Amino acid sequence: MSRKIDERIPQNSGVGTNIKEYVAIQSPWNKLVSYQEAMHYISRFESVLSAAAMQALRIMIPDYPERAELMCEDAYERLYTTGKYYGNDDSFGIHPFMCGDFPGALIGDMGDDALLMCGRCQDFGTYRCEKELDVCDWDIVGSELCRTTTMSLQGQAKASRERRPDGPTLDYMMVEAKGCGDRHCRIIAENREKYPAPAHELWQSFGPAVTDDYKKVTQEEDTVEEPMMFREECNYHFVNGTNTETDSSNQMMNLSTAASLYILPAISEAVKRKYVTRKQADHILHCVLEASGKAMFGERYAIKGLRDWMGVPNSIKEDGRLLAGLIEMQLQALVCGYEVEAFNENECILVIERSGLEIGGTRDMAEAHVSMWYGMAKTLINAQWACWEEDSPAKKLRIRIARKIDKFA
Amino acid sequence: MYKNIFKYDDMKRSEHMAVRNTVGWYYWTHQLLEITGPDVVAFLDSLYPGNIASLAVGRDRYTTMLNEQGEIIDDVVIMHVSEGTYWVSTLYATKTDDWWYYHQGDYDVEWTEITEDWAMLAVQGPRSRDVIETLCTESVVGQKFFEIRDNEINGISVKINRAGYTGEKWGYEIYMSPDDLETIEAAVNAEVTRNGGKRVTEFQVMAWTLPTEAGIYYMRDLAHTNPIEVGLDKNICWNKDFIGKDALLKVKETGAEREMVGFEVLADDFYIRAKQYGGPGEPVYIDSEEEEVGRVSKLVYSYVREVNNGYILAKKGALKIGDHIRIHGYDCVITEKKWM
Repeated sequence: MSRKIDERIPQNSGVGTNIKEYVAIQSPWNKLVSYQEAMHYISRFESVLSAAAMQALRIMIPDYPERAELMCEDAYERLYTTGKYYGNDDSFGIHPFMCGDFPGALIGDMGDDALLMCGRCQDFGTYRCEKELDVCDWDIVGSELCRTTTMSLQGQAKASRERRPDGPTLDYMMVEAKGCGDRHCRIIAENREKYPAPAHELWQSFGPAVTDDYKKVTQEEDTVEEPMMFREECNYHFVNGTNTETDSSNQMMNLSTAASLYILPAISEAVKRKYVTRKQADHILHCVLEASGKAMFGERYAIKGLRDWMGVPNSIKEDGRLLAGLIEMQLQALVCGYEVEAFNENECILVIERSGLEIGGTRDMAEAHVSMWYGMAKTLINAQWACWEEDSPAKKLRIRIARKIDKFA
Repeated sequence: MYKNIFKYDDMKRSEHMAVRNTVGWYYWTHQLLEITGPDVVAFLDSLYPGNIASLAVGRDRYTTMLNEQGEIIDDVVIMHVSEGTYWVSTLYATKTDDWWYYHQGDYDVEWTEITEDWAMLAVQGPRSRDVIETLCTESVVGQKFFEIRDNEINGISVKINRAGYTGEKWGYEIYMSPDDLETIEAAVNAEVTRNGGKRVTEFQVMAWTLPTEAGIYYMRDLAHTNPIEVGLDKNICWNKDFIGKDALLKVKETGAEREMVGFEVLADDFYIRAKQYGGPGEPVYIDSEEEEVGRVSKLVYSYVREVNNGYILAKKGALKIGDHIRIHGYDCVITEKKWM
């Protein structure tokens, strides 16, 4: 095979002309996708990957309560520990006098917006908080995740609370969830001394809320589709109630995913608790992700759509450049470094910074992507083609996309 | 649904009214920066529009901090705690620290954040002086508003600052070592209870309902405004240079484009978004609903007046006191921005 790289238009093409420069990701065929669209694209793709990973976990632990309990316990402990050692109250506008769990709502509020999960805080007090979301890209993953994210917030709230004098605790509950089919996601946190309710297990964090009549349900015409950082009325800044402001300048670099934050760590926990062996877990995960990748381009019109999106010229037919081009777009959107070692009609080789793909430090994320990409190769190109890891240097993921005959495929 | 989160809440009501009728106390620790050095007065005077040079030892001053565009980026209380040493009380110490560092230039000053060294309790309300007078070794009877003095409670060294964020004539802040917090809290709680008061625990009461009723802002209300728009220009010292002065002078010359007005929502229960929860706030239109004239900054409840009260940051002159408008479908009336 040749290591030839097809002629490509350089990324700085046009610099020095009077045409304005824009922040965008770029396909190998010089099609630009704006920062905003790239964020939406990668957020949804990673949610699809996360949804597939969740199916793998469902196979490993078929019982819903057991699975949800494991996920919630794992997320609660991990996010509590992370918050305890790395929490930065100042960055969320948590003031020194804010005693108790309620400042945790500020952490969730800012995190939602960064993940494009737009909506609004409806109440923020010592004994009650309410947050409503109109959009959640994670709504396809599974309701266990809705419970899990709530418990991770509970863990972060506890970690933050411990940095200040004692104050009232809150019971964070997701009383509506888009992942369950509700119009909105709605987290209501209530203090149980003020608003008594029966105790519940960690995973049973779905309510109902005692203060249901306080709910502020936004009508359809007032809902939003973009986070504050992409809305003119917000001056393109996220702003919370304690005056913390951020813009979109670093959101791509900080994108976390459901898989990296919650699902792959839960699979590791499932291995630790001996639901499956590590080998079984990897096998199940690979099978499900591969199938999920195949499903992405099972319909021919999806391929047409992708070609148009990336500006693929008609001269390029069915070969590995289609997938390599898409992977390049994904890597750019993840702000993950990579180099193109080969890019031609016979083969494509990308050498990827593994750490950039290990979103949130979750090591299995690189392998999860390779499994997806393998499946995508089968339908985006054709069954003669495959995508696999080969001869990776240290700290890199070297993937090759080429024709491959595999009698055990 | 849409049940008023303030009006029917007996706990918030009782905590709020304790401050208005007797006395309330609460943990109210802010971030503190201590600054000293030969150029400290000149440096602070360059950063803050308020007059620092005239601030006597033992006295405090409220002032905004502006960027070059004249926008408020912080509002603080500066305390001249001892000769040449100032405390700046803020809720944005990290940003302030960066801002100071960026603008230090040749000023010979040194500062350090001392938030970890000092806890603070607020004791507010008509009986607060009785509480503090009983607790302290030295009398506070002659202590003026915005005056800070050393004192003792149960043999523990404290600083008593006559100040507050409630609009009450009588209000005090007790600064102490965090190691002494538990002891002082117990003493304060006992004395407040003896005076018919109680502890305030609800953030919304200490940060929103009490100050709003008195026409006092929370920093979120002030973001991206200038002091002239929001009526905080009275204490500006125009006889000196400070960051943002040129921009403010232009505003003075041409007139402010916006103003903060008070308003009340007439319905008991409603859905109107306000900036206090984050985000842009509910848009405000007049009549035809074609032109947006403002956004709701704050919307809480006055337990003294029994009204839903708040602020709108509006186009100058678009809303006049007594005007009836509809916000998100709810009848509202424009008012003064003070309910006491």
